[in-house]
Amino acid sequence: MTPAETLANIERDLRASWAPPTDGGPPKTRVCTMNLVVVAATPELADRYLPIADEVAKSSLARAIVVALAPDDPVSELTGEGTAICGVDEGPDTCIERVRLFAKGNMCARVASTVEALLVPEIPTTLVWLGKVYVDDPVFVSLAKVAQQLVTDSEYTSVANLVHLARWSREAADRPKIADLAWTRLAGWQELVARFFDDPKIEPFAQNVTKLTLRQASDKGARLGSEGSLLLGWLGTRLGWKASRLGGALRFRRPDGTNIAVEFGVTPRPAGVAPATLSSVTLVAEHDGQTLVGSLDRDLGSGLDDATKDADVVLWKLTVGDAPTNMHRVRFGANKGAKWLERTLRRPAGDMALMESAQFAEDAVEDGILCNGS
Amino acid sequence: MSNPLRKGLVEERTAAACAVVIFGASGDLTRRKLMPALYNMAISRSLPSGFAVVGVARREKSHDAFRAEMKEGVSKFSRRKPIDSTLWEDFERGISYVAGTFEAKETYERLREHLEQLDKERGTLQNRLFYLAVPPSEFRAIVTGLQGANLVQPASREREGGPFSRIVIEKPFGHDLESARELNDTIGSTFDESQAFRIDHYLGKETVQNLLVFRFANSLFEPMWNREHVDHVQITVAEEIGVEGRGKFYEQTGVTKDIVENHLMQLLCLTAMEPPISLAADAVRDEKVKVLKSLRRMERGLVQQNVIRGQYARGIVRGDEVPAYREEPDVAKDSRVETYVAMRMFVDNWRWGGVPFYVRAGKRLAKRVTEIAIQFKTVPHKLFSAPDGGITPNVLTMRIQPDEGIALRFITKEPGQHTVLRDVAMDFRYGTAFGSNTPEAYERLLLDAMRGDATLFTRRDEVEEQWSYMDAVFDGWRAEANAPPPLYGSGSWGPEQADDLLARDGRRWRKP
Repeated sequence: MTPAETLANIERDLRASWAPPTDGGPPKTRVCTMNLVVVAATPELADRYLPIADEVAKSSLARAIVVALAPDDPVSELTGEGTAICGVDEGPDTCIERVRLFAKGNMCARVASTVEALLVPEIPTTLVWLGKVYVDDPVFVSLAKVAQQLVTDSEYTSVANLVHLARWSREAADRPKIADLAWTRLAGWQELVARFFDDPKIEPFAQNVTKLTLRQASDKGARLGSEGSLLLGWLGTRLGWKASRLGGALRFRRPDGTNIAVEFGVTPRPAGVAPATLSSVTLVAEHDGQTLVGSLDRDLGSGLDDATKDADVVLWKLTVGDAPTNMHRVRFGANKGAKWLERTLRRPAGDMALMESAQFAEDAVEDGILCNGS
Repeated sequence: MSNPLRKGLVEERTAAACAVVIFGASGDLTRRKLMPALYNMAISRSLPSGFAVVGVARREKSHDAFRAEMKEGVSKFSRRKPIDSTLWEDFERGISYVAGTFEAKETYERLREHLEQLDKERGTLQNRLFYLAVPPSEFRAIVTGLQGANLVQPASREREGGPFSRIVIEKPFGHDLESARELNDTIGSTFDESQAFRIDHYLGKETVQNLLVFRFANSLFEPMWNREHVDHVQITVAEEIGVEGRGKFYEQTGVTKDIVENHLMQLLCLTAMEPPISLAADAVRDEKVKVLKSLRRMERGLVQQNVIRGQYARGIVRGDEVPAYREEPDVAKDSRVETYVAMRMFVDNWRWGGVPFYVRAGKRLAKRVTEIAIQFKTVPHKLFSAPDGGITPNVLTMRIQPDEGIALRFITKEPGQHTVLRDVAMDFRYGTAFGSNTPEAYERLLLDAMRGDATLFTRRDEVEEQWSYMDAVFDGWRAEANAPPPLYGSGSWGPEQADDLLARDGRRWRKP
């Protein structure tokens, strides 16, 4: 089957989905506000991601195009199917469309033109790339041309890849803006850490941090994950820290030259919790003879019954000098792939803070920091 | 904002630490709206870490009893169910209660001591948001009590970086211009206008806020948003329900004071206003005031021609038989209070000169709907013939509730050999596009008040301009010796006279 025939079949499938019902029932209504193109490096990964793509397409009202690539397959072939998925917004006859494409061998090079033909015009297109991105890969380059936003997950690639990608994105105005799922997962942490210094009287402590401890859910000796690296980068860039080496050992200094002790520790990883998930942040600062200790401790796997197990409660705690400790708990919300993608789609892409934080983390972390503390 | 970690943060809609003090804490509003809104703000992490809610009311009650009442209210009325027990545990630790009459000095002394204690224990930093969930008749006593106990910081202290004191009041903001001025003077005797937040919960609705975005972020419509292209505007606030046990209240207000003077006038302002120079609170409110000042005042003799009242009689709503207004509890058998009003208004300015704004509001109407419909002029030359002899004009409808969204009606050709024209609608539904679990109006408004953003609150001069316009209408009604309003069947779209109001201009009401 040629790509043109595959395309014709998909279009026929989609048209059939919208044909008036023969039993006199109500016609289906198509809703579509964006194109969501998901590209997976393997068919297995595409299969695993399909329910997530469906859920996000339903909540964001997108035409979802899920592409599975198998470039090493000896057979060159492009197959696909289109279908309507109904039940959007509790309306049984309100539907979105989903297209699946499976490209094998050399046909991978034709995927972009097929996807382009399937895009709904005049609405934004987001490309979700599952796996490492190579900016000289012609499949990526041609798909990126039709997208305004590119979503990756640096947890599964690397902060270095994110930095590389951000640089590539900035080189030309028509390239898609970058968003990162790990960065979205950090948003709650950032907001809660910022709260330590909201009180104008406490704010001077922000420039006087003496110690930072980051913990992640992993075995001792594991590399610091993307969430931890980006949080470190975010704190470093916001507070003007400088990273340097002394005899090969990593040092962080405040703008006034004072050293900051930074520790990277681990906590046990309960079943179902993703590796290197950030689990705790503690900041210590000294100002005017007083000590501030602010901590966030994530109760891994404490989610509500109706959510995945890592929709967690976080204990926010702040002690300043002799004042009573202020503490309360918050919930981060379900840690489901679909929810994070949805949130990412609703945040501004090309966030400068992400780019700066990634650059700082990459400069500091380079080939990886090992979490050896407890 | 000087906290360096707040710079560039995407999710930065949090408020400064504060204590919210609710006067009238035993009332329905606290249980149904305010506490569920605060709880939902806690869930969505919009509340600051230093936070407390203090209920103030007459009845003696322990903190625990008050917390239990509030938990029951939140369980019933929160948009998020069931209640998250882990988070509720922390949230309720910040809830407390002070008993006392609003007239007694001791109430405020106790409140002051309690708030000082909360500053130490909960880090509320002396910031206070006083929420008056009480009838306006109580305002004076409360404001005087707060001032007497030194509970109100001057606005200048906040401007210098000190703690804030703000007051939130609920409508009605008076019952005529004189009483509105009196009320404003009462508030103004203690609070600066920048510290006063008059809530009109309609302004907290997403679709109302979207009106500004729709008008001023799209280049398509604004060039046509004027007398050159708009034939007329219809604004409808229709309810299916009757007075729902609020007969006593309604006998004193009627639909004009309950809905038209505030919600409907605000919708008109947002529809007719010029682009503000910025989204700063006063820039937006300045433009709304200009609209109110441009409203053509009705001289006594013109009221009858331009304003139609009605009162609901028995009828059938959604298949159920319902009683007449005069058969409702606490309503006089010969009541002349209007439950429906339709008006023809004009905004006498360059943009809208000669364009009528037809507005109507009523209870026990055929359908619950709030919408703004812009009807455009018909094409200058009729190229196509249509079976009904004319081409229907384009209509742009902004639905505020239910099914919030925007629809554009236009004409298209039916497929086939002949040129048959047909109306079709492009329909955008907010809930479908963005999900339906959007924050309640009170969540948005409480957060804005805590952050000191007054854009969605009504300013003193707005309230007074609204009453100034409506007073002329009431004067006209008085001149008619308060003739009884015509009756309309429940479940209809109002009295026939309202249809005549438009028919005289060769127009008709929409049936949304």
